[in-house]
Amino acid sequence: MTASFFARHPSVLWFLLCLSLFTILVTLLSEATGVGLISTSFVKTLGKTLCLCLVAIAMDVVWGYCGILSLGHFAFFGIGGYAIGMWLMYARTELIVVESLSKQVIPPTPAEISDAIGNQIFGVVGSAEFPWIWGFADSLFLQLLMVVLVPGLLAMVFGWLAFRSRVTGVYLSILTQAMTLALALYLFQNDSGLRGNNGLSGLQNIPGYQDVSQATVSIIFFIASAVALGAGYVFFAWIVSGKMGSVVKGIRDNEARVRFLGYHVESYKLFIFTVTAVVAGIAGALYYPQAGIINPGEIAPIASIYLAVWVAIGGRGRLYGAVIGAAFVSLLSSWFTGGGAPDINLGFYVIQWTDWWLVLLGLSFVAVTLFFPKGIGGLFDYLVRKPS
Amino acid sequence: MSMLLEVSGVTVTFDGFRAINNLSINFAPTELRAIIGPNGAGKTTFMDIVTGKTKPDEGTVIWGDRNISLLGLSESQIAREGIGRKFQKPTVFEAQTVRQNLAMALKTPRGPFAVLMHKKTKSNGARIEAVAEQIGLSDSLTRIAGELSHGQKQWLEIGMLLAQEPRLMLVDEPAAGMTPEEREKTTDILKEAAKTRAVVVVEHDMEFVRRLDCKVTVLHEGAVLAEGSLDHVTSNPTVIDVYLGRAHA
Repeated sequence: MTASFFARHPSVLWFLLCLSLFTILVTLLSEATGVGLISTSFVKTLGKTLCLCLVAIAMDVVWGYCGILSLGHFAFFGIGGYAIGMWLMYARTELIVVESLSKQVIPPTPAEISDAIGNQIFGVVGSAEFPWIWGFADSLFLQLLMVVLVPGLLAMVFGWLAFRSRVTGVYLSILTQAMTLALALYLFQNDSGLRGNNGLSGLQNIPGYQDVSQATVSIIFFIASAVALGAGYVFFAWIVSGKMGSVVKGIRDNEARVRFLGYHVESYKLFIFTVTAVVAGIAGALYYPQAGIINPGEIAPIASIYLAVWVAIGGRGRLYGAVIGAAFVSLLSSWFTGGGAPDINLGFYVIQWTDWWLVLLGLSFVAVTLFFPKGIGGLFDYLVRKPS
Repeated sequence: MSMLLEVSGVTVTFDGFRAINNLSINFAPTELRAIIGPNGAGKTTFMDIVTGKTKPDEGTVIWGDRNISLLGLSESQIAREGIGRKFQKPTVFEAQTVRQNLAMALKTPRGPFAVLMHKKTKSNGARIEAVAEQIGLSDSLTRIAGELSHGQKQWLEIGMLLAQEPRLMLVDEPAAGMTPEEREKTTDILKEAAKTRAVVVVEHDMEFVRRLDCKVTVLHEGAVLAEGSLDHVTSNPTVIDVYLGRAHA
């Protein structure tokens, strides 16, 4: 990746510039610097939005560029969140347990500490045993590895089975929905080992940094999310440019033709599917410490459908379109559903946006599909092509 | 001279209908061949078998100097072995430029990681320009393929075949929808290509086949009915009966 890459893709530079300015501005105005124009909770909302933008560009690459309408990429996002959540919860509980046991006259044995941690974490699901999947939870490094490996391996196995059997189109979409639904249902069980519908909580508290204020923690995660989004953007821009981009777009437009040119289409699909799943996992691992809690409801099938809606509204097949769509729709969604939008009193009926937002979203999705198939990002074409 | 492709005793049945019935046909390393026949004679199915899209129930398809069987290979492996195919309906990648279309077809490593790390080189650029010259699209390299005329798309697809450097080109109705001048140019491109490789043209249009001036194989009900020069096969009474006779009836 050289300077010529950026010269050929000026939109990447523009994006990085806007993202940097935005990050600096929010940091300076946050409570962490004492200015406090932007509240800590809003910094968290913005940081989470950046993570959603990151998973949206992954979705755009797999759908907008490669033509695989995956309706299961939010599962990979959730797995990333669970993987980091396990370490956060374990390490923090360990600190609390060790501190409370240290007040005893007799020093606790390692087995006692482990039992106490197990009791703390799994008491809500009537258990005290550590399930085997928590085997690495005491190691931040290994859990970070899981953030990448588990979504990557799941995507690779799932993709290999699906693509090898040449499952395409709507059938593949249904399969991916089934995958995320199955995962959510499994996690809802109390004996899944991940606390059932309670999920993992207290993730906003970073073990070892209890004395650091949430204002500072939030801004650090915000900046980390911005860096991840920037890096992800450059990475995907590189993948979808050049010859790889040609082949991937060729697969989207005419899979059989690419095959008769001698390309092993299944390998390419598997590559794109797996790489985007890994990035989705990383985005999730940055999102949930800012959200503070993750539960199986997060990876319900609807979440992955929202992801597709964001990309469609923002504009498929252009990375900045996915960013715009995810940011615009998810921020608007929290404004409408968070009570920000005033209710409209029609006299005979009061439109409450918490209920009606979904209707509005659905209508805008239909409108975009019918009248602006290029999405919001398509508006940039008018700006760019004006001189000619 | 040993054969480039030997198809022998091939039978394909779709729901009880014998699309290909004990078909045997051979191609030499350098030749131009036209395959004609009425609708349903099995011309497209024959191409599907050779390119790996359809697996036959019986028979063998032996390829190249190493005499390997094509039946166990996937479509992409067969393409990499050196068999290129042009579809009846022009299928180019309409969202991409002519140059990108040709670059994708160019004979270079096909694995995902080789493609990801692919660097543009001068020699590849020169090859693309040489092919563009051959198909008369030198001035259109930066155009989006979707904007090309129907005839130009047909040529671009033939160009993509040439860029693949196949040893066997299977070309399905290259002249469909072309003006007379365009047909003439297409004939020239195919004749030129056949000097160094085998080119098999499936065609409905007798005038076009006459212009190709090559050996003709007549398929009927999934088997070879006659073979030889166009004049030879068109004077064959059975051919007149099943094909020309019916066409004129």
